[in-house]
Amino acid sequence: MSRVRLSRWLLAIPMSLLALATIYPLLFIANVAMKTRRDYILDRFSLTDALRWDNISTAWNSVGMDRYFVNSLIVVTSSVVLLLLFGSMAGFALSQLRFRGSSALFLGCLAGLFVPFQVIMVPLARIMADTALIDTYPGLILVFVAQFLPFTVFLMTSYYKTIPREVIDAARIDGNSVYGVYRRIMLPLGTPALLSVGILNALFCWNDVLMSLVMMPSADHRTLMVGVTSLRGQYSDDIPTFASGVLIAAIPVLVVYLFLQRQIADGVAAGSTKG
Amino acid sequence: MPIGNAQPSVRPVPAGRTDGAPAGSAGRRRGAGPRPVRRGSRAERFAPYVLVAPAILIIVVLRLYPLLLGVNFSFTGDGERNGTTVGLDNYLELLDDPLFRTALSNVGLLVLLLPVAVAIPGLLATFIYLRVPGHRFYRSVYFFPAVLSPVIVGAIFNLLLAFDGPVNAGLEAAGISPVDWLGKPGVAMFVVVGVHIWATFGMALVVFLAGFATLDAALLDAARVDGASLPQVIRHVIIPGLSRTIAFVAVTTMVGMLTSMFGLLYVMTSGGPEGSTYLPEYYIWIQQGQMNRPALASAASTVLFVIMLVVGLLQVKLLRRAGGED
Repeated sequence: MSRVRLSRWLLAIPMSLLALATIYPLLFIANVAMKTRRDYILDRFSLTDALRWDNISTAWNSVGMDRYFVNSLIVVTSSVVLLLLFGSMAGFALSQLRFRGSSALFLGCLAGLFVPFQVIMVPLARIMADTALIDTYPGLILVFVAQFLPFTVFLMTSYYKTIPREVIDAARIDGNSVYGVYRRIMLPLGTPALLSVGILNALFCWNDVLMSLVMMPSADHRTLMVGVTSLRGQYSDDIPTFASGVLIAAIPVLVVYLFLQRQIADGVAAGSTKG
Repeated sequence: MPIGNAQPSVRPVPAGRTDGAPAGSAGRRRGAGPRPVRRGSRAERFAPYVLVAPAILIIVVLRLYPLLLGVNFSFTGDGERNGTTVGLDNYLELLDDPLFRTALSNVGLLVLLLPVAVAIPGLLATFIYLRVPGHRFYRSVYFFPAVLSPVIVGAIFNLLLAFDGPVNAGLEAAGISPVDWLGKPGVAMFVVVGVHIWATFGMALVVFLAGFATLDAALLDAARVDGASLPQVIRHVIIPGLSRTIAFVAVTTMVGMLTSMFGLLYVMTSGGPEGSTYLPEYYIWIQQGQMNRPALASAASTVLFVIMLVVGLLQVKLLRRAGGED
């Protein structure tokens, strides 16, 4: 037994080193963001001598990160609300209601999973340009919704399948219409799945760069991630300000992760085990 | 709660709360009031379709239809030949383009590196499952980079790996000559893939742990009682028991490497040095956005789609075989 113990402790060494390697880059960037330019050039590794917020406020105010932040917030919130609404509606119908063509429709939704954005980028950009939706919030929101809806419908359908049919039958007997059942029964019962899928979708949309770059290219409409990429060109000789921009973009995700780590991991795991 | 509809039937309850129903059909239904309806009123029968309509409409119009449009588009010309049919010209041009050839050979490199990208999270998940001291802590730390945007990850590693950056400074201090991590053609692609693996292994780790939860713990105990070593346990108990999970992780990791490295490439190398870090997705973006060659980009998209289809079919086959082994 003691040999097993020992080998476990030995394993803990490389694992801790890896954990350090996972955390270090983020600590590094946070440290750089607090430094002055001079300090950074003189010594990259040394701990900052003070918590300086000037770089952060420069990045926030004069570079336009505030604007990009709001753009991202608008697009991500709207996309997630629509994804959850459409995903739960379809998930309810496809899991609990018997109707003609339901399995064909489910397969149609799944087919969307196998079409990555890169493959349809050109025609999609053209459709958006033809409908004057390119470089607008609704355009990017639609593209986000289309991108993550197949996955959302899939997860909501498999979640709603676990709800016994008797629950729905009872609600129908109580005088609810199909829509009433959706609103009063399925939405509340779906909360755990909606939360999990919603957070995952929010992360996906918040972190995206390619779709945002193609669909909302103009400087005013940049999302936060596109904004970070543009920072690099502008601040290549002012690394602490650049690092501050990166930190601003990372903080919301960091906060979400600290509080909702469990739901995120559950969502990922659910996506894999229900396949 | 039904209003204006006194049916003896217990099951269907038509009127009243049809908030979301189209007004038209609701009106008609009321007109047909006294007719005994066995399977619910008209609005009720349409309800499932109303519920799936937004999802289906969006997926068909913005995912499936563009796919056809794109394939179609790849057989037409660019610029002066815009709109005319050019047959396979775009595909021939792709084969001739050294950048696209690099992109394809880089896909080959990704396939070769796939076992590493699967083995790392698999091993770590095994250790966590075997309750290495501090396993909860590792679990949450390892997963963390997976939620960061490739843009943020790329930006951080740009600083770390810059020629005059901290990694090289560290090497120098240890007496090793600095490496131009992102500026050397033979090195840059490996660096980018390495960063991608660093950033995503947490996702696969969580999937593996979910798979471990379904593993029969009695088997592991039995192996341990029989005195099996850790490599033996991995080979004879864990790998066969998790074949489905391994197949799933392999495919999702491959798909991830094919479709979510754009952010890293865009921030870290812009396809360089000397075009050595091109991947199909980056090539598509360059041709569409920078070179104004949408038809050529569509041809590249179609090639990427075929690659993805092969991966997808492989998945079905692998999963089926893995399922059969159980």
